[in-house]
Amino acid sequence: MPRITMIGQIHIYIENHRGVLQFSSKEVRLLLSQGQLLIKGEQFIIKTILPEELLLEGKIDQVIYIND
Amino acid sequence: MKNLWIQFFYGYVKMSIDGPYAERFLNRCIEHEITIWHIKRITKERMICYITLEDAKKIRPLLKMTSCKVSFIERKGLPFLLKKMKKRLGFTLGITSFIVILLLLSNIVWDVKIEGASPKVEYDLRQALDELGIKRGKFIYQLPNVEQIQKLVTERVEDATWIGVTLNGTTFEFEVVEQTLPEKEKLASPRHLVAKKKAIIYDLFVEKGQPMVRPNEFVNKGDLLVSGIIGREDAPQIVPAKGKVYGEIWYKSSVSIPLSNIFETLTGERKKSHYISIFQYDIPIWGFSKHTFERFEKVENDYPIRILKWTIPIQYKNVEWLEKQEITREYNKEDALKIAKEMAKEELRKKIPNDAIIKGEKVLHESVDNGKVELNIHYQVIEDIALEQPISQGD
Repeated sequence: MPRITMIGQIHIYIENHRGVLQFSSKEVRLLLSQGQLLIKGEQFIIKTILPEELLLEGKIDQVIYIND
Repeated sequence: MKNLWIQFFYGYVKMSIDGPYAERFLNRCIEHEITIWHIKRITKERMICYITLEDAKKIRPLLKMTSCKVSFIERKGLPFLLKKMKKRLGFTLGITSFIVILLLLSNIVWDVKIEGASPKVEYDLRQALDELGIKRGKFIYQLPNVEQIQKLVTERVEDATWIGVTLNGTTFEFEVVEQTLPEKEKLASPRHLVAKKKAIIYDLFVEKGQPMVRPNEFVNKGDLLVSGIIGREDAPQIVPAKGKVYGEIWYKSSVSIPLSNIFETLTGERKKSHYISIFQYDIPIWGFSKHTFERFEKVENDYPIRILKWTIPIQYKNVEWLEKQEITREYNKEDALKIAKEMAKEELRKKIPNDAIIKGEKVLHESVDNGKVELNIHYQVIEDIALEQPISQGD
């Protein structure tokens, strides 16, 4: 189960992720224990990445859960 | 990014990761607990990130696994800085020697200024300073501190009442206040001389005026001694009376001193610790062991380091513990009496004028009681008892 903390549109902090599937300056796709998390926006930078935590910086427009 | 300082210390590199599946490389890194940060996507096949120098050595096998290529763009941190410094040794040496020279020169006496002194006093002071070794080119550390200099110099230069010492950067500034002798007494207004206190006249020396008393005469306080009215009775003249009238005065003083005294002395045992203090925090550099003295005196010495006219917050400091000892001193009766007499005389000296003479002393009473010696002494003192009293002209 992920725990997501957002500070405005600038920062998003995701705990309990299972890895990075895709990373570009406009889109980040993370693997979760169930399904995936898609974050859309601009100028993404991964500030820190640890086994279960990730801090993303940029302009975040959308956070989408993908269940399949 | 969390502790950039530590990363700076160990060194870190900026690298670009090229390959179609750079994300896989990221995940491998996380699995192997390799810290990377500030990851940025540049193009479809290229990412840029930072990695610590230590971890950079471990990524080779991971690259093979994920078919990514890595190139280092920038090297940052202390290890690279040191390497660079080694490469440009001349430059490094130049900077260090510059700082060292600046430090040395900032802690040397460059000038000695003397203000407010007449040529003679200035000469005396210069000579005293020479003896103390305060002159251009001396290290400030070799000299005693400002308070000590002030004390030493004030003692040595006799014509100066007070000498203020300040160390202003590399300049010693001495501010001298000279002794000014009181101006010659102006011709005073007409006056009498009267007795200051009850006394027996011992001797008198009148420069001006009409003496009204004779030696061995008893006078009360306020009695007329020398009159300012002279001349014949039908044609009196009023003058300021001047002279000295010595009277014998009796003083009584009683002292009591205990037969056994407890006082503290230093044993000579000492323990010194050295510190470097940075922003008031003392970091010990030598002498770590704790002293084992039961009674002690603590002496702290600060040695600030100056750069140009500023003092930098890093300084050398030493602390010395001096062992103290309690000593009990026992007097026998004769010694105690002798000391009591001396003390009594000392007391008396404070009360009487400087030019007074102690003519005689007589022990009225002595007793030893409760471990104390008590003494009553009677003194005969000869001092000037003349006091000026103006003659009001209205009469």
